[in-house]
Amino acid sequence: MRREISAPRLALLLNGPALLCLALVLAYPVLYAGFLSFHEVSIRQLRTGELPFAGLANYARLLHDGVFWLALGHSAIFVAASVVLEVVLGLAVALVIDEERVAISRVTRFLLLVPWAVPPIVNGLLWSFIFNAQFGYLNRVLHTVGLISAPVNWLGDGRTALAAVIVAYVWRTTPFNILLYHAALQGIPRELHEAAEVDGASAWRRWWAITLPLLRPVIAVSLILRTTFAFMVFDEILAITQGGPGNDTWVAAWYTYRMAFQPPFDVGLGAASAYVLALIVGMAALLYVRLVYRRVEY
Amino acid sequence: MRRLSRRTRLALVIANLAAIGFLIGPLVPVVVGSLQSERTMQRDVFALLPREVTLENFRLILSGGRDKGPIFDQVTYLPASVGRFPSAFRNSTVVALAVTGLALAIASLSAYAIVRLPTRLTRTLFTGSVVARMVPLVVLIVPMYVLFRRYELLNTLTGVVCAEVGFLVPYAVLILAPYFAALPAELEEAARIDGCTRVGAFWRIVLPLSTPGLAACAVVLFIISWHELLIPLVLASRPEVTTLPVILSGLVSDYFVFFTLMMAICLLGMIPTVVLVLLLQRFVVRGLVAGAVKG
Repeated sequence: MRREISAPRLALLLNGPALLCLALVLAYPVLYAGFLSFHEVSIRQLRTGELPFAGLANYARLLHDGVFWLALGHSAIFVAASVVLEVVLGLAVALVIDEERVAISRVTRFLLLVPWAVPPIVNGLLWSFIFNAQFGYLNRVLHTVGLISAPVNWLGDGRTALAAVIVAYVWRTTPFNILLYHAALQGIPRELHEAAEVDGASAWRRWWAITLPLLRPVIAVSLILRTTFAFMVFDEILAITQGGPGNDTWVAAWYTYRMAFQPPFDVGLGAASAYVLALIVGMAALLYVRLVYRRVEY
Repeated sequence: MRRLSRRTRLALVIANLAAIGFLIGPLVPVVVGSLQSERTMQRDVFALLPREVTLENFRLILSGGRDKGPIFDQVTYLPASVGRFPSAFRNSTVVALAVTGLALAIASLSAYAIVRLPTRLTRTLFTGSVVARMVPLVVLIVPMYVLFRRYELLNTLTGVVCAEVGFLVPYAVLILAPYFAALPAELEEAARIDGCTRVGAFWRIVLPLSTPGLAACAVVLFIISWHELLIPLVLASRPEVTTLPVILSGLVSDYFVFFTLMMAICLLGMIPTVVLVLLLQRFVVRGLVAGAVKG
């Protein structure tokens, strides 16, 4: 047999490019964001290249900024509402398409991923059209069925505006959950249900006693994934409300973006808020690792 | 198994129709909106369907604003996004293809090593990939902007590709690792007894056998790259290097662009990924499930 390089050395070699990626595009920027958050960084400093040390000033300003807390509060509402809707709607549709003896369920399964395939920014623009007060389709439909007589300004009121963004976001992201639940449902042996049916268990009882317990792991996974992603919603906010009316739909990621990349171009403050967000998401990520990938050994 | 009762069947058909309405209902306004002129839409603000249908919006956009036709003939202001559409579409295609190819190559090597050559390093790298997948992009984009500015990578397609590849490699590793793990190791051993090197066995046996997994990963990567807004928005905003999501986001603050034209651009912008998902659904489904729950 020919001489070969040893397995550990080959492993290092094959992982070289991936390690480089992780180091250059992930680890280094994350550490550098920490560095930036302790320095004064805005347009002038970026131009000269000298970043004066600022200590904890950025964090102090962040924690004293009412808009930051407002944005965190909106994010909390956004995450809670969207995750609940995604799980409930996802479970409902997954159960509906699981019964393959109904021919039309093939159409549903075929169209399942269409919302997921719509680019997030397009999704935002299309819902901004639906919710538009003057020409929007929601008002047209509601008027046609006789529920309203005059146009409603959905995006002009803080509460309906936040609800509108949640609806738009949930429409795009629910298919991912449907998919996970559908895959998990297919893994449940039919015999379990048949045996329970022979024993006289009602459909409702079988759902509670068999299906739901077996779906629990995948529901936990989707809860964590969807929580972190909902926390980072950006495109739909940009397209539908741009944080308005007033500050009523400012969310966490929007705050970071606005502070760093639009006036006042305060990159230091943006880095500090990014770090606080990373901390929050990091806890969810840790939970995910322990829950899903703990028993994976290659 | 027992036959479905008539009542159950009817209930399921209705539930399926409701689900279909949920999945594609919101796209109806896009199609209807893009097929009419601004004047038709303004004439009756409560009408569901337009009185006249026209393809002028698409004609204008696809020609990059040059072919104005009768409707836009008198219009003096056209949003910049219309003129930039053809070049942005090209840029998006180039970026998505480059990102898919590079991330797939890097991640397949890494995933194979993680599965077949487990060392402490590869185990750490795998956990690192899981965590990295969840690092919020908005956390990375702030330092990246400063770094890209310093190394003069701002406003280059290369910069956008680098950033997206780095961001997507960990996810691609998560998708690919289960595929490689599912291949029987005996195949490689047989090849190696016949005189193949480990790399040779990877190239001749593992890669061809895992084509479905590579395809699944590639489609998912292409779609995510096509959708990406924040990276090109912050790192490459110049007109010549802008991608499709960026010119779409440019429509947001433009109060003079009307919804009919906006919906036509949206429809054109989402066609590639929607068609891809419908055609390659099997692969996308497997890729997404593998990347989320399987070890």
